[in-house]
Amino acid sequence: MLKRFSFSVLFILMLGAVLAACSDDSEEASSETGGGEEGETTISFIHWRGEDTDSFNKIIENFEAEYPDINVNMSAFPSDQYESTLQTKLKNGASGDVFAMFPGVQFETITGAGLAADISGEEFVSRFIDQYISVGEADGAQYGLPLQLVFNIPVYNKTMFDEYGLEPPKDWEGFLEVNKTLKENGVEYPIVFPAADNGQGQFMNPMMMNNELDEEIWVKVQEGERKVTEDWWVKTLEQIKELNDNGYFGQDALGITQDASGTIFAQEKAGMLAMGSYMMAQVHDQNPDMEMGLLAPITTSEEDMVFEGIHTTTFMLSVNEESDKKEEAKKFIEFLTRPESASIYANDTGQMLTLEDVNYESEVLKAQEPWTQKNTRFQPRYTITNGQVQDAVLGSIDSVLTGVEPAEAAEQAQQIIDQSL
Amino acid sequence: MRFSKRLYLFLIPGALLYFTFFILPTLGAFFYSITDWDGANQNFNFVGLANYIDLITNDIVFMKSLGNNLKFLLAVVIFQTIFSLIFALILIKNTKTNIFFRALFFFPTILSSVSVAFIWSFIYAPSIGILNPFLETVGLGGITQSWLGNPDIAIFSLAFVQIWFHTGQVMIIFIAGLQNVPKELYEAATVDGAGKWQRFSKITWPLIAPSTTMVVGYTIIQSFKAFDLVYAMTGGGPAFSTEILVTFIYNSAFSHYQFGYASAASVILMIIVAGITMIQFRLINRNKVEH
Repeated sequence: MLKRFSFSVLFILMLGAVLAACSDDSEEASSETGGGEEGETTISFIHWRGEDTDSFNKIIENFEAEYPDINVNMSAFPSDQYESTLQTKLKNGASGDVFAMFPGVQFETITGAGLAADISGEEFVSRFIDQYISVGEADGAQYGLPLQLVFNIPVYNKTMFDEYGLEPPKDWEGFLEVNKTLKENGVEYPIVFPAADNGQGQFMNPMMMNNELDEEIWVKVQEGERKVTEDWWVKTLEQIKELNDNGYFGQDALGITQDASGTIFAQEKAGMLAMGSYMMAQVHDQNPDMEMGLLAPITTSEEDMVFEGIHTTTFMLSVNEESDKKEEAKKFIEFLTRPESASIYANDTGQMLTLEDVNYESEVLKAQEPWTQKNTRFQPRYTITNGQVQDAVLGSIDSVLTGVEPAEAAEQAQQIIDQSL
Repeated sequence: MRFSKRLYLFLIPGALLYFTFFILPTLGAFFYSITDWDGANQNFNFVGLANYIDLITNDIVFMKSLGNNLKFLLAVVIFQTIFSLIFALILIKNTKTNIFFRALFFFPTILSSVSVAFIWSFIYAPSIGILNPFLETVGLGGITQSWLGNPDIAIFSLAFVQIWFHTGQVMIIFIAGLQNVPKELYEAATVDGAGKWQRFSKITWPLIAPSTTMVVGYTIIQSFKAFDLVYAMTGGGPAFSTEILVTFIYNSAFSHYQFGYASAASVILMIIVAGITMIQFRLINRNKVEH
């Protein structure tokens, strides 16, 4: 009995030792060579743009040809999952030697935790258009370089607008008139608004941009200096309610997801899509014959309008401060931001970029290019750095869509904001 | 066979796993619940019971989540228990047809919850879904609506999916309980002239009471932890109308970066679930029937 017991214990100990040895080996392999051949280094590149992986793969292939001793292991995660798990992935430098960040809450948290390296002095920083990269700065240092330039204003079906003799409106009355004409002509969704997931966070931006001109407004709300019960936000909610009550969002905005809204728009059941320029490539793939443009709902009179639209600089490239492969990571960013790589990425994915000297060739990008010359405002939602405040603000739009009076919805949101201060 | 104390050594691997993956994280949750840790920064402050006090006295969304959780729980517990018991009573005999239907009803249980969420989001979708057109086809156009967009009913729409998802699983527990009821009791009752209802109320119901208690307790715990379905279908919206405790905890930790606060909420959830489990065990012991 004792002998059998001793053998069993010995067996378990040996098994443990073997497993431990394997574990040590594999860990060493992944940290030093990343599983590649001897002398090679593998860097991890993580982001949330699954739809861009084909284009990134082309660029990575070119990069690995130029730097045969560096391999790039790219992983793309769903955006909500990415948002919630990025800091865990970055800790200890386990992954994300190069990573992308959202501006706003995520940028604040990641830089606050010291997980983004300061890349201020790098040569490739000068390739970016100055006005677009300030969002990646904190305390005078550059921690992130936003690659994408997005216009967060509705996309419209230019073919349909031409058919009904419509032009992008210049004031609120004009915007209502456009919606009315579309509805009277049997268009199911004059403006399809995917409020089941991301619509509120997008559409709130152009809806509020001229109602409150102070670009620091959300900072002040978070500091308790200003309130969402003031006229500017209540008016924004009232205007959203007006669109909803008139049936311009179609049957049920709260049941429509972003993906579904893209499909509805591509099927020409909608005149406008209340999202942003980043949807244009997807819609173009689904319906290449449809001509598209961008327009912003101007919520004031033409004379009172200051901002013509909204822009966001996002997909902020950064280097993991905890990584022991920072030099290789910077080489990859340097390669990615060269005009020839950037042009491949822009034309493949239909994304405007924040870099100089990019050669835009696709139809979708040509439709967006004029907007770089307009007076656009940085996406106000991304200036909300407190997640609870953001949820409260977006929740007030939900409430209005479900029939709650704008003043009451604003009051409820303010209660949550007060509690989070 | 003589019992050797050295056999206790074989418990060590299991105990180590339990300690590492259950005890340590639980202690960690207690520890972080009294801090303001944001989940990323290495520095944090001790805040005492402030997180708990804030949650209970000041947090509108937390209280709303608790209320939503109770609505969800009541709908699921009542209807899932009734449906699973009815199906179990119908399908108790081991015939080929019954076995086929048991497998059919059990089938949703083996699907992943994300797949279930995807399927039902499509069914409920107002413009491209199939529920509203189906209702219109059968003359019930008057009740069509935004199943996940209407804040008054969204939580019940989710509860319906949860019931669809798990009724087959719970039915199996009832079938096992029903098959343990001695046939002689039914035979004797029939001889004594008892009808179907009397046989059910005087024999079946008391003798399956331990199964019922277990089903109810299990369903309550499952309803408190129904994260994946809710998160994938509504994310807690619209306007927090489907936010339940677990989605609140997730959002606090991973969207608002308030790990300390989220830990305090998860400790409260743990206390609720532990309380329910204790009541459940007491009821099981009390409802044990000797036969």
